[in-house]
Amino acid sequence: MASAYNPIYTDVPEKDVFALHFLQTLSNLRTQNSFSSPDNKTSDRVKKIKKAAYVSMARAAGGTNRLWSRSLLHQAAKRNNKNVRFLRRKRRVTWLMRRRSNRGDPIEDVAAERLRNLVPGGGGMETSKLMEETAHYIKCLSMQVKVMQCLVDGLSPK
Amino acid sequence: MSSRRSSRSRQSGSSRISDDQISDLVTKLQHLIPELRRCRSDKVSASKVLQETCNYIRNLHREVDDLSDRLSEFLASTDDNSAEAAIIRSLLDY
Repeated sequence: MASAYNPIYTDVPEKDVFALHFLQTLSNLRTQNSFSSPDNKTSDRVKKIKKAAYVSMARAAGGTNRLWSRSLLHQAAKRNNKNVRFLRRKRRVTWLMRRRSNRGDPIEDVAAERLRNLVPGGGGMETSKLMEETAHYIKCLSMQVKVMQCLVDGLSPK
Repeated sequence: MSSRRSSRSRQSGSSRISDDQISDLVTKLQHLIPELRRCRSDKVSASKVLQETCNYIRNLHREVDDLSDRLSEFLASTDDNSAEAAIIRSLLDY
């Protein structure tokens, strides 16, 4: 059965990749005139930075190659009302996979449901695929947190 | 499209994920979560791993929120050139 099952590949790029993408997104933000103007409310600024963090993380992690990053980018683009062109996965496959996972082990279902709500794009996945995506998502999230922590540490007054 | 073909084969071939594969993935997740890495016994149940995973992800989200808050303060208060220089310097030093 090993041949039928894809090996778990949860390799995550180096911290530099995440840092680079985050810096690019941040500098794009700064070139927008609305960003550093005094009329801009703090909450708006924070929201934009937070969105920049997630979008840059999704791009650094492999763009549209992973389900969670693809879903993140899709959500972000939809909020900007941009026309998004992604490879459309067949919706029918999603529905069938959901039926299959509902027939699965009841032990994991309750916690898996909570996990599905936390991981972007987790709605239509089987439990095993969900856990793969979760592992990758956790690695990328912790990388992103490290990058942001470095930034904050470097910027705070000595 | 090759992607379509592969998803179809996965759908028909793996109709029942074996327990070994699930426990494999659970162990892998267990290694990633700091709290569970300390008690490295095999007695950690799958539901506990999943629950701790949820908590860990929520914590990470909260940290991202908090760091975004602090970053926005810095980026607003300093002017362009010095902020960029400070950012690049801080990232090169880690």
